[in-house]
Amino acid sequence: MTRTLVLDSYLLADADGVVARARTGDPAALEALYRAFEVPVYNLARRICRTTEDAEDVLQETFFEVCRSIGRYREEGSLWGWVRTIATSKALMRLRRNKYRETEELHDEVTGRRREDTHLRMDLEAALERLSETSRAVVWLHDVEGYTHDEIAAMMGKTPSFSKSQLARAHARLRGWLGEEVQT
Amino acid sequence: MTHLSMDALVSLREPGLEPGDVAAREHLEGCAECQAELERLHQRVARLKALPALRPARDRWPEVRARAIAERRARRMRWAGLAGLTAAASLALAVGLAPQGAHPSGLAGQEIQQAMVRSQALESALHRYDPESHVQDGRTARIAQELEDRIAQVDRELEMADLMEQQSRESEVLRLWRERVGLLDALVDVHVTRASNAGL
Repeated sequence: MTRTLVLDSYLLADADGVVARARTGDPAALEALYRAFEVPVYNLARRICRTTEDAEDVLQETFFEVCRSIGRYREEGSLWGWVRTIATSKALMRLRRNKYRETEELHDEVTGRRREDTHLRMDLEAALERLSETSRAVVWLHDVEGYTHDEIAAMMGKTPSFSKSQLARAHARLRGWLGEEVQT
Repeated sequence: MTHLSMDALVSLREPGLEPGDVAAREHLEGCAECQAELERLHQRVARLKALPALRPARDRWPEVRARAIAERRARRMRWAGLAGLTAAASLALAVGLAPQGAHPSGLAGQEIQQAMVRSQALESALHRYDPESHVQDGRTARIAQELEDRIAQVDRELEMADLMEQQSRESEVLRLWRERVGLLDALVDVHVTRASNAGL
């Protein structure tokens, strides 16, 4: 059983029944879907978007789309997988629309700091936040959500090589910022 | 000694073999430094996965729900208008082109059209009133929501009725349009009459 299928049953008891009722427009069932997936969707959006406001907008847009399209969900994959694809698409769309500044590069330029010289001992949250939006999105989608480079490339409208190089670049930066010791 | 780049280390975590992976693995076997770097990479990913879930500061469900209802209402108005035109055209064909008395459905057709016209008038009244722009007490909002849901259910049944045989379709469509008018009447009553009684 895949991770997403396990998550379905963990997040939503009687997922089949709730989906069947949601398809008829039952507001209680639609709200049950929202309550079940609200946190994972927001978490995914927040990890990709720069601001909490953007992440909340993505949350709202995702569930509006879920309400509108639940009739088209075919149960071929997991429910969470379907919701997650909508959320990822909305978050990446917002990223493209907002054209955030690549703050990581800018910061390095301003301070004249070279990556190898950085010994900030940041915590992981802060380091993740400091990555450029694109790099952070690739790290999160690949390493945490489990998307392949081909899938990420398709969602971002880029090549798999782009996704791979963004991931490697992001890990090189995180490595430099975190100054990690191997835990034994 | 040249150690493995981050690109090479990241590539080693992927399933399948990329060009250069064999040579990278050979190097890795004999290089404690690169082994430690790969282990750091594994540990970093594990820590990423273990980060606590971030939660929204406020509940966004009311906005989602309100938007879904507004869209449903707009769709219903478009659909009701279109259905009205279709029914009027069918009725004109039945009355104008068929021999007198050849269509037992003529009377039902007229009643359906009357119900559709009434339904559209009520929809227009609701549209003019614009319930979303008025403050409602909790009980009114709940009753209005229940009526909205039942109307949406009737609309879905009307769509399904299109697939039925001609004769049973007419009686079913008439029943559903009458029910729809009754529900819309109640909805207008809930929104407009109560608001005016309450002086809103």
